[in-house]
Amino acid sequence: MQVTECTSGQKKHVTVKGLERGDLKKITRREYFFDWKAARKGAEMYKLSLTEDDSILGLVALVDVPAEYRLEINLLVSSVQNVGKGKRYEGIAGCLISFACREALTKYGDLACVSLTPKTELKQHYINKYGMSPGGKQVFVEGKELLDLIKKYPS
Amino acid sequence: MKSKTTLSELTPEEMVDSFVFPIALSPEEKKIADRELNEARRKRQLNMTEHERLLLRLMQLRYRLENYIQQEPYDSKLGFSYFLNEYLNIVDKRRKEFANDIDIHETLLSQLMNNRREPNESIMVRLEIHSNNVIPAIHWLKLVEKSKEHDIRTNAKLRQKERRYVRNKLELSGK
Repeated sequence: MQVTECTSGQKKHVTVKGLERGDLKKITRREYFFDWKAARKGAEMYKLSLTEDDSILGLVALVDVPAEYRLEINLLVSSVQNVGKGKRYEGIAGCLISFACREALTKYGDLACVSLTPKTELKQHYINKYGMSPGGKQVFVEGKELLDLIKKYPS
Repeated sequence: MKSKTTLSELTPEEMVDSFVFPIALSPEEKKIADRELNEARRKRQLNMTEHERLLLRLMQLRYRLENYIQQEPYDSKLGFSYFLNEYLNIVDKRRKEFANDIDIHETLLSQLMNNRREPNESIMVRLEIHSNNVIPAIHWLKLVEKSKEHDIRTNAKLRQKERRYVRNKLELSGK
């Protein structure tokens, strides 16, 4: 998986791994915006790190809903240096969503789905940016669109 | 930089580029939201073509294979024959038909599927071509190598047997 350094346009290798106990000390609200200890309840947490120096660029909390063959993205953030106009790397959220798609596909095959509940005003933006479909309050991706997302941010 | 200031300065596009915000729904709201989602998904599933389904299931097999060869410990049940059987189930072919597809004798296919014979490189490449490159030959090769690695690392009988053919074994201390 790769993210792009905004200033140089250089691609950098990243990996997504499960969050380890020791990581929680590094994950401050100041750097990652939310209380990640609270977000752990009922969710699997993953970190996206640069391969070269192990620094955590983004985090995602996924909830498995096996009865519906679905992974739900409860929370996703890029670190404070990677947000907005002055951000350092591009593609962090895309890589994390693509990772969720791959996990769902590996578990559930042709029935796999990834969903999230957006803020109302952001719903159309998730649809435009990630090829998601509207599903009431939520947006979701499955089928060909799920494969397209994995292809766009390949592991 | 304070996180609150940063968030309030972002455009919607920038938010979507970097976040999925947590949304608190009451149990009742969540129930309704999930019902709406399931209805939309039901329609999507109805429109899914057989070709799309086949590709998704093949990609699932590819990722399971990748996860096993790259990350997971050796498991005697997950050898070449296991994944080949899974492949045949997905493409929904009878043995005779599939043996014909890749131009091998049905007996050889049966031996491969029952873990009584190892595949050669030609078979791995034919499997790659048959899957239209969805499952590359290198994945099949690494799968076979994983079993071989385990075997050579743990085969005590072979060590016992071969010991008698080795003379002048080096006497090294402190290794």
